[in-house]
Amino acid sequence: MSFLIAQSIINGVILGTLYLMMAIGFTLAFGVMRIVNFAHGEFYMIGAFLALIGVNWLGLPFPLALALTAALAILLGALVERIVFRPFRADELSGMIASLGLAMILQHAALIIFGPDPQSFPALVSGVYRLGDLIVPQSRALTLGVGVVILLAFYVFLMHTRMGRALRALVQDQEVAAIYGVRLEIMYPLGLGLGVALAAVAGGLMAPLFGVSPFIGATPLLKAFIVVILGGLGSIPGAALAAILLGLIESLTSSFVSASAADIVTFALVVVVLLIRPAGLLGRGEA
Amino acid sequence: MRMSRILAITSAVALMAGNAIAQEETLKIGALVTLSGAGASWGQGMLRAAELAAEDVNENGGLEVGGTNYKVEVIPYDDSYKANEAVTAANRLVFEEKVKYIIGTVGSAPILAIQPITEENGVITMTLGFTAQALSPEKPYTFRPNPTTAEVAQPQIDWIVANQGIKTVGALFPKDETGEAIAEDVAAAYSAAGAELAAVEFFERDRVDFIPLLTRIVAQGVDAIELDGNSPVTAGQIVQQARDIGFEGVIVRTGGPATQEIVNVAGNAATEGMFVHSAFDPGVEKAAAYEARYVETYGETMNGFSPFFYDGTKMLFAAMQEAGTVEDTEAVKTALEGLTDYEGVLGTMNWTGEEPYGIAHQLDSPFYIARVEDGAEVIVARCTTTGCE
Repeated sequence: MSFLIAQSIINGVILGTLYLMMAIGFTLAFGVMRIVNFAHGEFYMIGAFLALIGVNWLGLPFPLALALTAALAILLGALVERIVFRPFRADELSGMIASLGLAMILQHAALIIFGPDPQSFPALVSGVYRLGDLIVPQSRALTLGVGVVILLAFYVFLMHTRMGRALRALVQDQEVAAIYGVRLEIMYPLGLGLGVALAAVAGGLMAPLFGVSPFIGATPLLKAFIVVILGGLGSIPGAALAAILLGLIESLTSSFVSASAADIVTFALVVVVLLIRPAGLLGRGEA
Repeated sequence: MRMSRILAITSAVALMAGNAIAQEETLKIGALVTLSGAGASWGQGMLRAAELAAEDVNENGGLEVGGTNYKVEVIPYDDSYKANEAVTAANRLVFEEKVKYIIGTVGSAPILAIQPITEENGVITMTLGFTAQALSPEKPYTFRPNPTTAEVAQPQIDWIVANQGIKTVGALFPKDETGEAIAEDVAAAYSAAGAELAAVEFFERDRVDFIPLLTRIVAQGVDAIELDGNSPVTAGQIVQQARDIGFEGVIVRTGGPATQEIVNVAGNAATEGMFVHSAFDPGVEKAAAYEARYVETYGETMNGFSPFFYDGTKMLFAAMQEAGTVEDTEAVKTALEGLTDYEGVLGTMNWTGEEPYGIAHQLDSPFYIARVEDGAEVIVARCTTTGCE
């Protein structure tokens, strides 16, 4: 029994890290742009396809494919900001609806280009690490490791660089940030670009675990949404806490009760948090 | 005088135009299938089967029924594997497009949801839906061209349990009508074969992470994992993740053909040695030719259900010709029921199902057990509904 508990905790932490990569990009896009980006899941899907094209079609090594995916995703995000979201900057509702439209366009474009069938993604590593009775699949350990490195790098960027400071200033107060010389014309595209890139890299990283098809974006979007609501929209530490919590809840309830119970517990928690702390666990409330 | 001349010419032109239309009419066939989401590879296989069957008759100048040539047009609708969307699509097909024939649906819940519309309006449906409730004497317009778990599970499971020495089995099923129906069939089949379905988990259909559930199943020490009832993509993910957490037992796929998609998702290493149901013997010349044509036309690998629906659609055309009408679906239905020893691409087809369903609207065809080696099926046993060898 204690074996199953420890195993479930390991599973849960791995799952939580995967969710966190999705949620941070989502919450960043909201913090900077004030847009609830429903197309976020589709960028995850696009990232998975870009990595697939890099590895399977062009024969690139996986790290290079992932780096190219990130670079292309930043450009794509900046482009989307310019073309789709800029007109709705002060209008959260229209921006949200535009993002829904964008999600449909992206998903169906992928459907036309790649077809509905799942594409095979070669496994990067196979086998398991064993710690006594405990098992950690090597593929997940690798994803976890790379994910943590990317998240740490992103954290350093946000906390210790000029651009990172500018982004955080934008999240706190856009007008004041603009008065202090933060260049909105650069920071808006960059903010969305980075958010999109995080989703795309998450897609690329998880492609070997969960496969690639035009429909893979929906579940991660939902998880990111739950994480961000639990953690507080716009709060990055809140997202980290909520993501690990969600991973553990899903893993423990699925292993000890049932898969459906995991969904019930998760959404019950969302309702309770919204009732007691509407701004989320570590959210600041509406600025 | 002048007026009557104009009238005469106009009516002559109208008559000629009317004649031209009468010689070549359009026969609309609905394809209400899943084109997005997890079941999309089945839906595409069905839609394309209908399209290829239509192409056959259109290339020969159309389908000749009762002296009229019909150009067959396939109208696709997507139900996303959901009952409510299937109902919307069925309403549009039946009442706006005025179709009398529907290829679909893929899922069990969708077919049960649209039957009140299709049966009421005498619309003939050809469904893939695995639920036993899809066929019954109260639903005379529904046919099923593919064998389901109920037909193939027992002989196949008997053979695998005996040959692999399996005692306990774990399985995951989607939490809906399809999944629960299959879970019952599979549990009964394993216990009849002398093994036990010891660990069962149900999950929501859009789930992609199975490690928590598999951890629990594997912790119970099962000899085998059964994949029946899961969409090809989901089955592939289960195989990959089961191997990821170090499961070394036998993996079995009873029911729906999905080997190619499973291998695509899970890779050659994880699927090595897996036992699968196969409806398709590449050694049969006509079957191989159909597969080649499918791959050439669409540039993608063929889903294993596709040939059943190609044969099914062709049988439907044959029944229309036999009945001499496309409008009177009751006559077409009777003619379809009367087709015996139909030579399709999969072999000789007959209707069965009188005993389990109370109506012989289930197509009977040969099937196989294959072992996956290096990502490809190798047939290890040949089966009929009475047994495998």
